[in-house]
Amino acid sequence: MTVPIPMIGVLPAKRTGPSHWWHGFIAMLRWEITNMRLLLPLTVVVQVLFGAGFVLGIGLFFEDIPSRAALFLSTGATTITLIMVGLVMGPQLVAQQKLEGTYDYMWSLPVPRSAATTAWITLNMIFAIPGMVVALLVASWRYGVDLEISFAIVPAVLLTLLTATLLGYALAHAVTKPEVTLLLTQVLIFGIVGFSPINYPQDNLPGWLAELHEYLPFLPMATVVRGGLTQGLVSNVVQSYVVLSAWGLIALGLVAGSLGRRR
Amino acid sequence: MEVAPGEVYGLLGPNGAGKSTLVKQVIGLLKPDSGRITLGSFDLVEDPDAARQLCSYLPQAQMPIDSFKAREAIDIAGMIRGGPAAEVKRRREEMIEALEIGEWRDVLGARLSGGVKRLVGFAMVTVWPGRVIILDEPTNDVDPLRRRRLWEQIRRMGSEGAAVLLVTHNVMEAEKSVDRLAIINEGKLIAEGTPSSLKADDRGRLRLQLMLHPGNSTPELAPLVRDHVRVGNNLVTVIDEDAAGAGIVWAQDLLARGVIEEYALGATTLEDVYVRLTGHKSESER
Repeated sequence: MTVPIPMIGVLPAKRTGPSHWWHGFIAMLRWEITNMRLLLPLTVVVQVLFGAGFVLGIGLFFEDIPSRAALFLSTGATTITLIMVGLVMGPQLVAQQKLEGTYDYMWSLPVPRSAATTAWITLNMIFAIPGMVVALLVASWRYGVDLEISFAIVPAVLLTLLTATLLGYALAHAVTKPEVTLLLTQVLIFGIVGFSPINYPQDNLPGWLAELHEYLPFLPMATVVRGGLTQGLVSNVVQSYVVLSAWGLIALGLVAGSLGRRR
Repeated sequence: MEVAPGEVYGLLGPNGAGKSTLVKQVIGLLKPDSGRITLGSFDLVEDPDAARQLCSYLPQAQMPIDSFKAREAIDIAGMIRGGPAAEVKRRREEMIEALEIGEWRDVLGARLSGGVKRLVGFAMVTVWPGRVIILDEPTNDVDPLRRRRLWEQIRRMGSEGAAVLLVTHNVMEAEKSVDRLAIINEGKLIAEGTPSSLKADDRGRLRLQLMLHPGNSTPELAPLVRDHVRVGNNLVTVIDEDAAGAGIVWAQDLLARGVIEEYALGATTLEDVYVRLTGHKSESER
């Protein structure tokens, strides 16, 4: 004797409201955690190696690294691990979903899209932390830099990660073609590592590029993180928070716009 | 186009006809340029959130469950669809048993064959179903035995009151399993009705199928041939029932002259209607 299948029959009312949102958020967290568990150990190892490798690799440019450069490098590498997770790895995962054709299923699920997005962003941010911590530890061990970590590191890391992740999310979802997303992430890696004043002072860049970076989010990200890790290395922290928050809001707007989008 | 609760409605058409596009518009993944899609009092084009709550969707691509054990994938999918945990578990076991996939209950998706993965996907979509169940090529890769189990479950969804929207290009399967169907070609609805009503034009006729020797051109057709279509080396002709004898004589002659390799005479099928309307062979005859 089979029991009737639930839910078939009457047309129900549409579910809305905070409890529907929260249920969707928790369900999607469970989905994403289960989904990542095979790749997660590998992903964390790659991030840790990336953070450590970056710190050690850049140090090879110098025979004897000046202490100010060492401080720039240590804090810069830390910032870069955060940016990479949000702005590069995140969009690459989404592009992968699109290429495999699994994106359609994920977007057909009956949860509020903002809940699914929040779940994804939350996990992305959590997974960025190990790489950042290891980069910092390796840097202080290798170069013996004197870090003076303050509580300001908490909002600095959160805002940097959130903005990078939101920008990455917007990049992945607003760009329809996954091939283009993958290409753009390559360009971003190149631009951020090579031509952003994250690992070196802004003055080292040509004037116009240094000027441009006043308005881009990468320098402010490095500045607020440095503000939390050191004393007196950077001065314009408040202004950086303002610029970075503006980018965060722009990215949030882009993400919100891409949520309801149908092709 | 209208689909009633309890109906299994087939969408047939060749690749690229627009079947998947249509169902993606129903579930709110794509936005139609014009027109309306309604479900009861809900306008699904205006309200894609409602569409996603009221419809369950099995896409044509495989489910992203490489990291999931089969039972976990079904459970979490049921939870996402809003089912209470205990009820979802009960339904999960029911589905696993009905589809005969128990031996893979604790196997990771990455290790499942395409067919089993497809069945797990079906269970994910129907463990806590919506009012409309959209299945895009559900039987792809599934072995014949479990294909039968799958059809039983699809029929059951219908008999319990869901509207099932079934995308397929396997006409033979559709003929046996759907209540009504639409044939779509190049984005247009070209025929709609029950399988037998679509065959009504062919009542009193037979199909005489001729397999030409590879490379041979179409032979001159006997006057008794009412209709014909050639796909590859397969020439399907339609003749009147009372011309069956003459048809066999004609085919025997073609065989004796080496024009054809073999022939077969039989009742007309939905396949013939489909081929006539679209000019394509369906998957079931390839």
